[in-house]
Amino acid sequence: MPRKAFVFVVLIGAFALIVWSGITNYRAHQAQLADHRAHQLLLTPDGQATPAAESDVAPPNPLEGRQAPNFTLEDTTGKKVSLADYKGKAVLINFWATWCGPCKVEIPWFETLRDQYGSQGFEILGVSADELDLDDKTKLQSEKAEVVKFATQMHMNYPVLFNGESLKNYGELDAFPTSFYIDRSGKVLDVVTGLAPREQVEANIKKALASGKA
Amino acid sequence: MARLSPLAAALLLFSAWYAARPQGLPWQSAAQEQPEQPAVRYEFPEQVSIAAGKPAAVDLHFRIRDGLHINSHQPLQKSLIRTELIVMEPSGVSIASVDFPPGAVYASQALPADKLSVYTGEFVLHAHLTARAGEHLVQAALRYQACDANACYPPRKAPVAFDLVAK
Repeated sequence: MPRKAFVFVVLIGAFALIVWSGITNYRAHQAQLADHRAHQLLLTPDGQATPAAESDVAPPNPLEGRQAPNFTLEDTTGKKVSLADYKGKAVLINFWATWCGPCKVEIPWFETLRDQYGSQGFEILGVSADELDLDDKTKLQSEKAEVVKFATQMHMNYPVLFNGESLKNYGELDAFPTSFYIDRSGKVLDVVTGLAPREQVEANIKKALASGKA
Repeated sequence: MARLSPLAAALLLFSAWYAARPQGLPWQSAAQEQPEQPAVRYEFPEQVSIAAGKPAAVDLHFRIRDGLHINSHQPLQKSLIRTELIVMEPSGVSIASVDFPPGAVYASQALPADKLSVYTGEFVLHAHLTARAGEHLVQAALRYQACDANACYPPRKAPVAFDLVAK
């Protein structure tokens, strides 16, 4: 009798394990498929559009909720620009690159939003992540000229800064665009990597303007 | 009820445990499950045999991670970073040229007027080379810049290495 009971328990246990594994694997498979679909390339031949899926929710950036590190970079006119110059303002620091297609989508939004909210104390700093050869002056001038040309073509009406690669205290930026929304007290409210909907950009600007007032 | 030996019970439990292991998607390898997987990886060959001293062509196979694209060797805009092969020729090997495939022309939904020439999925480069008799380790790096629908990633290099046996 004890042996029969043992066999019975083993059989029930094995059966339960197989059923449980089936359910678990099915759920994992579905989650992976969803993840896979979220990263699908949504390009279509010659502009025949396909709606883009929303990208995954990334883990929060370590700078969120902390004071934005100060920096000083040269802008396209040769002027040194520091984040500290914008004390008391809501600032959007947007890291972009000339080779970044999605960056080109949101730049016109930024121009409009800067016009709309600039009088309320909002500013944008467009930080180029294009690589610069600091050891080769001729090459450096040519690389800077490409950034200036791009900024001119895109009608960027806000300060465009060179050498974003040097801002190591903003973390390893491994995708562009990346936007840091900073409130009036200098605190990083939100960090968005990748192209976000225009409505989200505007909502973050409003949040930054409303937050950190003295 | 039929008798179940301890060995059979153990086998049954092992089978159940094996079935319970997490399963990947059919096209996923173990390497793909790692968090920091590269956008492009060299696939094969690992070894090639050619006739010594005579021009030969070697096909180099690459795979781009699903959901990503990279610019072709001839992007349609000057600001875009083209895909290039940087070859370190070992002594006794001469690489005359590398043929890149034409890119597929695409436009994104957000920028329909912005035509791109890109590679997706698998692509093959044809390297034209000659080698002295012997075994040579050919090393190279594919420099590329990848994007998906919502973001672009900084330029990276995918290592390439194969043994070239010239007889």
